Amino acid sequence: MPDINALRLEAKRVLREGIVDVVVGFKPGDSPLHPQPAFFRNEDEVEELIHNGLCKNNLANYLTRLPKQEKVGMLVRGCENRSVNSLIVESQKERDDLYLIGVPCEGIIDWRQIVEQAGEHISLVEESETLVTVHTPAGVNSFNRFELLHESCQRCLYRNPISADIVIGDPVANGSLDPVAQKVKDFENQDIEARYAFFQKEAERCIRCYACREACPSCYCAECFVDHNAPRWTESGATPAGMQGWHIVRAFHQSGRCTSCGACERACPMDIKMTYLTEKLNHDMREKYNFECGMDAETKPPFQTVTLDDKNRFFLGGGN
Amino acid sequence: MKLILPKNDLPDQLRSWRKEFTVYLPQKLERFSHFMPLDDANARILEQPHNTRIPPKALFLPMTEALVKFTRFGTYEDANMEISPRIVFGMRPCDAQAVQLLDTVFEQEQYTDPFWVKRQEKTIKIGLGCHVPCANGFCTTVGYGPFNKDGLDVLLTDLGDSFLVEVLSESGKTLFENLHEASEELLNQAKEIQNKAHDAMPIAFETENLKEKIDQNFKSDYWDEVSRSCLGCGVCTFLCPTCFCFDIVDEVQRQERVRNWDTCMFRIYSLEASGHNPRPSRVERTRQRLSHKYAYWLDQIGLIGCTGCGRCVSYCPVGLDIRAMLRQAQSLPFEVSHAE
Repeated sequence: MPDINALRLEAKRVLREGIVDVVVGFKPGDSPLHPQPAFFRNEDEVEELIHNGLCKNNLANYLTRLPKQEKVGMLVRGCENRSVNSLIVESQKERDDLYLIGVPCEGIIDWRQIVEQAGEHISLVEESETLVTVHTPAGVNSFNRFELLHESCQRCLYRNPISADIVIGDPVANGSLDPVAQKVKDFENQDIEARYAFFQKEAERCIRCYACREACPSCYCAECFVDHNAPRWTESGATPAGMQGWHIVRAFHQSGRCTSCGACERACPMDIKMTYLTEKLNHDMREKYNFECGMDAETKPPFQTVTLDDKNRFFLGGGN
Repeated sequence: MKLILPKNDLPDQLRSWRKEFTVYLPQKLERFSHFMPLDDANARILEQPHNTRIPPKALFLPMTEALVKFTRFGTYEDANMEISPRIVFGMRPCDAQAVQLLDTVFEQEQYTDPFWVKRQEKTIKIGLGCHVPCANGFCTTVGYGPFNKDGLDVLLTDLGDSFLVEVLSESGKTLFENLHEASEELLNQAKEIQNKAHDAMPIAFETENLKEKIDQNFKSDYWDEVSRSCLGCGVCTFLCPTCFCFDIVDEVQRQERVRNWDTCMFRIYSLEASGHNPRPSRVERTRQRLSHKYAYWLDQIGLIGCTGCGRCVSYCPVGLDIRAMLRQAQSLPFEVSHAE
């Protein structure tokens, strides 16, 4: 677990010394299940800073939302660090305007599972490396931490920050590729009807609230394709065509840009599975292009590397 | 009229209604409960204190519906408005109250929405009071309660082995013809359960003068502060039982004019054809959402446009909590000119 006092000290220091204008972290919410993203602008405010397994948002999301000229300090876990890198590659922020406070991550806890198992009246949640202890009026329950984690966190490959300015806390063991590859393979091995049935079942619960889009650091387009209405590019309604269209195109726009953080699934009010699509795309990026998103702040994703001498013939220097 | 329905008899009761009605009741869909039509194979009630994820307003104002069918040759016909008689079973009082509030939008003297009105006419609403109050709900704060009767034809109180059936309308009466009257003892027991549930709901914020605070602080930095972490998604409004905004779109390929749920939290909601957006950021959009519920509804019909169901609190992806936001609003000063 991160040492919260050390995190606060560092956040205060970078604010005091003027290294950053704002530190992005988390503060407690009204319920222990829902810590909120928070923006600390002075040392006093930092007293509110917390960091725990229920902090469910990918904070890199706010990089494109804060004023462009600001110097930003940010608490980053493995996925957030990679998302920040990816945004630097896409020219959304300069590395020099950032101060990354790294926090090794033991995975994000699915609060909905806590509610399912312990009810919604939760007064306190305590965590250790292996257990989550939940206090309710009916008593105290302990759960296996790993089992309560979001799927994307159970399969997480990079739990430690990779390019933070400082890392607070001891590094944790990174995940292995096997469960990820296995998951992709299991899906691929189903026949086309079964895969389509699964996709349909998930996509068609969609209410088109776009929480998945808004929670994703990579979704920062000034105008999303579904919002384009003159002319309209997609079916507008919560119909099978509209919902499936949204989910498949959203996923494809993430090719080589997704860090498997799972923020989309965590934000979804309808519990729709989405990472099985992006994990497949990430897997293909790994297999076919030897590329993993956000591992440094320079390498462009394969699909952003078009040049005028591309071998495809619709480019200037293309073949025949 | 107060009757007793043993729980063991409920599955048969539900099945018998199916002869004349489509019976909607909360059933498990993936990991949450959802109003779905009962099919005979699984006549079982979900024993859970939670509300459905999607409010039952969706049964009256569907997420997407066709209003008109048209052709390329300029002819058109009204969409099919055949709606079979329905029973909605297990509606929570906050959601029934919300549907009743929405009547003031869709069933005005001057303008009525034929789709809404028809669905209302064809629906009998059987409410289920909340004997286990929910953690994020705040119905008593906004003037209602876990056993509120508004907008319902029947209200049920869970007595353990049976339900107390409180018949509130003529159409509700026809559904429960062969039941025994409740004994004095059971009536007292129900009253106790209802009072206990009501008392267990804390007051989440003060509503007195809240409208004035909101109105007078239109330009306050408060809005900037409470919207800072807002993502701008539609969760709070789409899951809200009283949000009713829709957008009308011509789906040319299907040759239909449809209406879809829309939300003031989206950028394109207020985007004008000129490119100007009077609510350019999440600050103005958050202000609109809160002001509509806690000030503009009061201007229009004298009631708060929120029934305290708590869905926006539970499912906000960044944990924004309308209760905390309104508590903070109460701490704002009255406008200086007002105080002079």
